[in-house]
Amino acid sequence: MTRILPKNKLDDCIAAWQKAGFSVLAPVQRHGMSSFGEVQKASEMALDLILTERTIKDHFFPQTEPLIKYKISKHDIDSETMTPPERKRIFFGVRPCDASGLEIDDPLFGWDYKDDYWFRRRENSVIVSIACSEADDFCMCTSVKLSPDSTRGADVMLRPLSGGNGWQVEAISERGTALCDTVSSLLQEETAQAAPLPRVDGKFDVEKVMEWLADKENFESRFWKDISMRCIGCGSCTFLCPTCHCFDIQDEGDTYQGIRRKNWDSCSFALFTMHTSGHNPRNAQSTRWRQRIMHKFNYYQGKFGVNSCSGCGRCTRQCPVDMGITETLQAITNLPR
Amino acid sequence: MIYTPFPMRVVSKREEAPGVRTLKLEFVRQEDHEFFKANYRTGMFGLYGLFGEGESTFCVASPETRKDAIECTFRQSGRVTSMLSGVDAGDLVTFRGPYGNCFPIEQFYGKNLLFIAGGIALPPTRSVIWSCLDRREKFGRVTIVYGARTVADLVYKHELDDWKKRDDVNLVLTVDPGGETPDWTDHVGFVPTVLEQAAPSPDNTIAVLCGPPIMIKFTLISLQKLGFDQENVYTTLENRMKCGVGKCGRCNVGSVYICKEGPVFTAAEVSRMPEGDL
Repeated sequence: MTRILPKNKLDDCIAAWQKAGFSVLAPVQRHGMSSFGEVQKASEMALDLILTERTIKDHFFPQTEPLIKYKISKHDIDSETMTPPERKRIFFGVRPCDASGLEIDDPLFGWDYKDDYWFRRRENSVIVSIACSEADDFCMCTSVKLSPDSTRGADVMLRPLSGGNGWQVEAISERGTALCDTVSSLLQEETAQAAPLPRVDGKFDVEKVMEWLADKENFESRFWKDISMRCIGCGSCTFLCPTCHCFDIQDEGDTYQGIRRKNWDSCSFALFTMHTSGHNPRNAQSTRWRQRIMHKFNYYQGKFGVNSCSGCGRCTRQCPVDMGITETLQAITNLPR
Repeated sequence: MIYTPFPMRVVSKREEAPGVRTLKLEFVRQEDHEFFKANYRTGMFGLYGLFGEGESTFCVASPETRKDAIECTFRQSGRVTSMLSGVDAGDLVTFRGPYGNCFPIEQFYGKNLLFIAGGIALPPTRSVIWSCLDRREKFGRVTIVYGARTVADLVYKHELDDWKKRDDVNLVLTVDPGGETPDWTDHVGFVPTVLEQAAPSPDNTIAVLCGPPIMIKFTLISLQKLGFDQENVYTTLENRMKCGVGKCGRCNVGSVYICKEGPVFTAAEVSRMPEGDL
């Protein structure tokens, strides 16, 4: 016997959660792009998508985030620190790769100086993951030691039933248990088989990759020039990545008032590291691509004990020149040694 | 909140060299000042800014032995530094920090000190120099080698005069060939060359080296020739920064975040970093 959430009870669930003070966000297809958005009814959810084009990162580390509002007068400056709204949110139908992405970024936003903007949202959010029933050629979770039903970063794990009319429910965290309690009357105890997981073939050998990257000799390898030749430095892969966290801080306004904002930035851009003097430590696209790979599969591992990749494959799926991390890591795996 | 700066009142502004100025800043709020006093150690840096313009990263040029105000020295070069150049006494600016690691000055006790600075890199060095000179009895011989492109480009000229007069400090001043004036009586030559001529002994000596990358590169070679162990040579690195606290992801050299693990490193640590990322 397992606990089941029948699909036809989803509207009741949403209503119960809203009554408990939560906003419910789920995959939606809006404005020509799939992403996570607030929903009122189950029919608004696009739960059949393999993966939304945009990640749930957008809702924890928004593309642009107001930090400080300021007003400048002749003798004084008024400034007010802006804080993200204290809003309890449920993210329903998160894919395991996206849920892992949040957990991967936690230590970065928390080491030493705590980024309140990130953690206030994290603490007020419940992640309800749904295991994948389909995968495409770009999915690579198994290559980074995750799986289509990984519970990493999830508070509740739902596994689709074979018939397709509901989900097995497993509470993973205390927060998840509390969430299940709010809808316990809607859950049923049943014997029902979960649908088989999709096959996600290994795309590269992450151990071999990490070993090659760790070898200092390879930092100056001409491999980096060859592999990044067609990168146009557009930054799409970083913006669509569930773990990329780099940002810029910019003031936006007129002479007398404005808002200081934290905006997404990308290691793909030349300006990212350009000194005022004109010196740029990463002055070629190849050095910037190297930084991206090194950061994800070497530096981050060294600092936080985890690779900064959850295998969603968006970087490759949506790359305008069909490049992405997968190809590079495959090539590294296959390099003669 | 993490990215919210302290308001600071400009106490004074001093012209150092063409395009180079020093601002002396006082904390507006007592609690901010207490925080600074409790946390600041020489070598740390801050983000100085103006609302509407942004923030720029430079060192705290005042020593840890003088925490009543913050001094910062910068060259007018970009948007923020241009606007900071235009402020006057009484104006408000912002400061975030102190961030980063520091010079382990207690470990220098009982040793001779050799300071080497080039151009606008005297301010970070000067912070260490005064942190030591204010506790002069704890150290052995103190040598300062300072060079700039031209006589006009030397910064902290009034303090150079002070150091010159002191008999417990050996000041070696130099300007690049062609940068001397008719009344210039000190050295003419590049810092590494002048350093090798001065030939300070590496015995029981700590070297602190700050300057533009090219100067650091050649001075490290000279220090090696003079017999200095890389573990006894300290330097500071800089990179573009936005957050200052290890999150915005741009200031790393290899795996090392300059903002958190630096900006102070030994030459040995720098030598282990990938050169292609510097």
